Amino acid sequence: MIRRQILALTVAGTLFGLCCVLLAAAGLPQSTGAVSDVDPHTAFGSKNAPVTMEIFSDFQCPACKTLFTATNGKLMDNYVNMGKVYLIHRDFPLPLHAYSRIAARYSRAAAQIGKFEPVEQALFQNQEKWEQNGDVDGTVAGALSAAEMTKVRALVKGGTLDAAIDKDYALGQMYRVNQTPTTVFHCKGQTYPYPGVMSYDILKQFLDQLLSQR
Amino acid sequence: MQSSPFNLRRAIVWIGRLVLAGIFIYAGYSKIFLPIVHPHPPIGVALSFFAMQVDSYQLLPPRGVNFVAHTLPFAEVALGLLLLIGWRLRIWATIVTLIMLGFFAAVVRSYALGLQINCGCFATPEPLTIKTVFRDGALAALALLMTIFAFIDARKPHPWSSPEKA
Repeated sequence: MIRRQILALTVAGTLFGLCCVLLAAAGLPQSTGAVSDVDPHTAFGSKNAPVTMEIFSDFQCPACKTLFTATNGKLMDNYVNMGKVYLIHRDFPLPLHAYSRIAARYSRAAAQIGKFEPVEQALFQNQEKWEQNGDVDGTVAGALSAAEMTKVRALVKGGTLDAAIDKDYALGQMYRVNQTPTTVFHCKGQTYPYPGVMSYDILKQFLDQLLSQR
Repeated sequence: MQSSPFNLRRAIVWIGRLVLAGIFIYAGYSKIFLPIVHPHPPIGVALSFFAMQVDSYQLLPPRGVNFVAHTLPFAEVALGLLLLIGWRLRIWATIVTLIMLGFFAAVVRSYALGLQINCGCFATPEPLTIKTVFRDGALAALALLMTIFAFIDARKPHPWSSPEKA
């Protein structure tokens, strides 16, 4: 009986060890510590904050809206504005959403004139409306003045914004992002990819743990 | 008449023990130590990262999330080892089966609700898809069969044991 148990333990231990090695080898790309290609207009907080959060988001995705409305406000107040977290918005327009890329272009254009925040808010809060009729332009116009909207339209028509969106998308693919929202946390050279929505209370615990690392 | 030591029932119990023990130990280990993150974070960070995955199922209040996140990984490792050792197999097999059925129910519910979440089964980010549902279903079925057959086998004398004296 004991011999059989020892044999079982040996076989399972070997299999387990092999699995660990294989899974560890198939891990995610490791962070070099610094986050590259950051558009300062779509990033918030201090670059020197101990934690960096890159949120790969799609303006037409309902889960992204939930993350934005339920979590981002408190995160901005308690971590980003306090210099603890550097928050970066990354565009990851999913091909299955008809108007995601258009919304991303408008938000990028608004970012270039320093109006990313109100446009991001307008796009998420009115998501149900513009995803039905495709009226992204009208939604953005509601959040900006006429002069600002003229500049935004000119930038969107200019056709130069797709390069930045594609850069974010390629970066997401490097992190193996396959759903939105996906948040990639960076702290002390460590990278933690997290797909899905996070409630603020539980996110807070994780951030506090990251910040308490020595 | 004495039964053969090599029958299907016994084989399923052994396969169940080895497969589920391996999966449970690796699942617990990956949650506690996050092998995909380098340099390895402290256990507190890894467990609070796992708490976010538990929370995404939207089943438990924050206290419940924390309880599960801070106990489940250790329970998985312990149960995996106990399955391997085989001591009081029926008790641990029953507990593993209940846990597997619980996982399966949670995964089916999340899939049916269309929640776009991470499975949280191992350390690697893994979207919850129909594949996850089938995999968890198959493992729950294996656990159930292993437990039932372990109970049936326990009623019979082991074919390798010495014959009882009259």
